[in-house]
Amino acid sequence: MWQIAAAGDRALLVTISSVIEPAVLAQVLSLDRALQERRPHGLISTLTAYGSLLCHYDPAVIERDGLAGEIRAFEGRLDASVPTGSVVAVPVRYDGPDLAEVAAKTNLTTAAVVELHAGREYLVYCVGFAPGFTYCGVLDDRLVLPRRSSPRTRVPAGSVGIAGSQTGIYAVESPGGWNLIGRTDMRLFDPAADPPARFKPGDRLRFVPVT
Amino acid sequence: MIEVVNPGRWTTIQDRGRPGRERFGIPPGGAADWFAAAVANRLVGNHLDAAVLECTAAGPSLRFDSERVVAVTGAHAADIETWVPHVMNRGSTLEVGAIGPGLRTYVAVRGGIDVPIVLGSRSFCQRGAFGGGFGRPLARGDRFAAGAMIDGAPLSNAWPDGHRLSIGSPWEVRVIGGPHADAFDRTALPRLTAVACRVSPELDRMGLRLQTPGVHLQADEILTTPVTGGAVQVTPSGEMIVLLSDHPTTGGYPVIATVITADLPLLAQARPGDTVRFREVDPAEADRAWRRLDGWLQLDM
Repeated sequence: MWQIAAAGDRALLVTISSVIEPAVLAQVLSLDRALQERRPHGLISTLTAYGSLLCHYDPAVIERDGLAGEIRAFEGRLDASVPTGSVVAVPVRYDGPDLAEVAAKTNLTTAAVVELHAGREYLVYCVGFAPGFTYCGVLDDRLVLPRRSSPRTRVPAGSVGIAGSQTGIYAVESPGGWNLIGRTDMRLFDPAADPPARFKPGDRLRFVPVT
Repeated sequence: MIEVVNPGRWTTIQDRGRPGRERFGIPPGGAADWFAAAVANRLVGNHLDAAVLECTAAGPSLRFDSERVVAVTGAHAADIETWVPHVMNRGSTLEVGAIGPGLRTYVAVRGGIDVPIVLGSRSFCQRGAFGGGFGRPLARGDRFAAGAMIDGAPLSNAWPDGHRLSIGSPWEVRVIGGPHADAFDRTALPRLTAVACRVSPELDRMGLRLQTPGVHLQADEILTTPVTGGAVQVTPSGEMIVLLSDHPTTGGYPVIATVITADLPLLAQARPGDTVRFREVDPAEADRAWRRLDGWLQLDM
């Protein structure tokens, strides 16, 4: 059963599930599409992340319970197929400042870390936190590590990191606590572009080692 | 043109922000004290979408090379009378001076501050380093023009005392519980609303940290979700982070409660060391509170 909870006086948070799974993301994206296509009166904008979706609404137009009811009406009626778009190649120089430490902590060689990281397709689960930041999953179990105990104050744009079961790409310079294993020259955020972010949830990508 | 003689501590160009672009990871942005910014625009006869200056802690000095009506609102400013329109003569300099009580003061210029619109707004986005005319806070020597965002005549009198928010600690801030109420035990929000929270020195437009010596909140971990302005996040150490205009679009800390839209201006004015007390309300009270402020902004004066 979906959970629908108030996020203040102008937004509702719909939680479909709390696990990182393609089938869950598919449901979230399907609900997002349904709300765009049959937009309830008073719904202003939506935002997805992993297993949940936020709806900003105008309380002068629709009441919280009314909107919750309209959202609830989609439950069990969505055609939620796992996204199968084309796979975007992201060129990566695997020379990140944490690569050696990741190898040491995982009992792998740096070459094996690169091979495991570049050796599979990833699904984009979320674009958020900072402009264009792209959260992808999931990693090979052998690469699962906690975040760094003390975050860096400046992580350069294009940095590719791993944390938990996820891998992510910093699109703009920002603070960050992920283990940095490489860097891409691909521009993931451009305020002059439409859309400004290179990836969206549901996209697929693969990291390609370059020197 | 208007020239920045002294930029002050942290002065940025802000309008009503760019909500709706969170799906690209872009914070909604816009004036942290949305009410004071709106009143500044009303005082000079601007459209409420016009860009203003948001000045923090110490205000700027601005030189005008042609006559302009301006207004300064929000927190108290040492060197200029606030909440009333002023005529700046050609060649004169507007000095805002030290700011406080309160943290943020808004300067509106008749016509609005005319810098390029980036992704739907003139607001400076710090995290993305774009917008706000210069992609950074104002610096000495910056020059910008006033625009054509005019919606009527400037007001002839001061903004009425009775139609302002009172500025000063302790701040009483109303919240709606959740959205992650299930991550906490039932007593968590009542315990939080029973104590005084202290504003820590780490504070910016993304959010402010609160310490609650009298209560330690614990929560289950959550999977990262989208977040909104006003979200009261609880970190694993039990500290709280309340999100403001430039907040990250998603967050992995559970949100115990969310500040109502009408009281976000109060949080935007809280200074390090100030006291914040939360009070839980229902959506009907949140709605009444918002209508009250919106009604003030709509009044014919």
